[in-house]
Amino acid sequence: MFLLAGDVQIDPTEHVRDVVLLKIGEVPIVTMHMVTLIAVTVVFLLVMMKAAKAIATGPESEGNDRYMTRGRLGQIIETMVVYLRDEMLAPVLGARDTKRYLPYLMTLFFFVLFQNLFGMIPLADILHLFGVHQTPIGGTATANIMVTGALAVLSFFMIELHGFREQGLKGWLLHNCGGLVPGPVYLLPIALLVFVVELAGHLIKPTALAIRLFANMFAGHTLMAVLLSFGLVAHHGGMGLLGIGTISVISGAAAVMVMFLELFVAFLQAFIFMFLTAVFLSLMSHHEQEHEHTPPEPALEPASA
Amino acid sequence: MPNATTLFLAAEPVAGAHAVERPEVMALTWLPAVTALVVFVLAFGFLYVMVWPKIIKGLDDRDQKIRREIANAEQAREQANAALAKYEQELASAREEASRLIAQARADAKAVAVEFRDRNEAELAEMKQRAIRDLETARRAAITELHAETATLAVSIAGRILKREISVADQQRLVEESLGELAGVRKR
Repeated sequence: MFLLAGDVQIDPTEHVRDVVLLKIGEVPIVTMHMVTLIAVTVVFLLVMMKAAKAIATGPESEGNDRYMTRGRLGQIIETMVVYLRDEMLAPVLGARDTKRYLPYLMTLFFFVLFQNLFGMIPLADILHLFGVHQTPIGGTATANIMVTGALAVLSFFMIELHGFREQGLKGWLLHNCGGLVPGPVYLLPIALLVFVVELAGHLIKPTALAIRLFANMFAGHTLMAVLLSFGLVAHHGGMGLLGIGTISVISGAAAVMVMFLELFVAFLQAFIFMFLTAVFLSLMSHHEQEHEHTPPEPALEPASA
Repeated sequence: MPNATTLFLAAEPVAGAHAVERPEVMALTWLPAVTALVVFVLAFGFLYVMVWPKIIKGLDDRDQKIRREIANAEQAREQANAALAKYEQELASAREEASRLIAQARADAKAVAVEFRDRNEAELAEMKQRAIRDLETARRAAITELHAETATLAVSIAGRILKREISVADQQRLVEESLGELAGVRKR
């Protein structure tokens, strides 16, 4: 899709799509999203290490202050972790599975969040202003369907492993028959159909995860690029300075508003990816059928000393 | 308006755009996928060993600390409430005891006053009776003495009569002396 301004075409997806940085023959070896993934992950790990140091219990010599989280970064990370753990994951997964999957789910959340947030920094565009037209790092890795697909594949394996672990092979098979087996023989064809649908559901769920994250990030950045390119389109379209200025101001203001929306979407999509993984995990727990008739599990208790 | 700005879908970009190769949006480029897998797994492994245990332990330690402090505060509150209840109970008992003692003291004082009054009245009555008895005794004694004196006088008078003739003047004088003595006796 291109914006056609006079005889100039502007591709708004240019800032969102991956860039091949290194090729051997016709085979791309290094792309911008790969470098971005690695670089942002390094930053992510450094930030999490700093946060862990701030949150960890201090030495006894500090008295009661050793329980305090030091620094705003640690407090922000802690607030998010505690909220997601106590308010979102524990009611869905229960105390035991929350403890078991908290590291994976939190890693998933912060990994996606960091990639999303980094994508909001117009690094390539800033460098472009300084004459650097090709940067090895930039863009939004989570706006790449292959990246979100890889994360979804990991979640898929995590969900299925949890299902086998909780229910065993037989329980897993029965679970996928929708409760029709054991049952009347005449329901066997329906049970088979349900089994096929359930199997498809196992694949559709992570696929939906991947597409949802990719589509949101890609669409948001594309919308922003479209808004910001209106001025350029006006320029190439031969409009006067007043017209270009007016269009630029209006489209720039709209882009700023969309930027705030994108900031929210960055958090929201990271949360949705993590939370839906948790929901799918809970659906594979062997006590799924009893959930409707039993009270929720008690709130998460801290690990015994 | 010449060169009017139009927006529509176009199939291909114009030549001369930035000379970089950009895979299609939905192109199945496996390298980013493999990179994402490897990077995420490595990051997760690192965080699982180095970061999450510290964070989770820190949060759990604080949770336990808060729970402990709350439990201690609850216990202290219960103890304070128990002490307050005991104090109030003791205060009520003390008030009740004080009221009882005051009532007892009042009753005792009243009883003592009544006893004193009765005793005084009895003593007064006794003293009065005694005085009356003393007076009666004295009166009787006086009368007895008077009778004795009268008899003595009578005998004396009779003796004088028997020894000499009594003139009118003597008679008169004797009567007066007798009356005088009698008066003297009465005065005594």
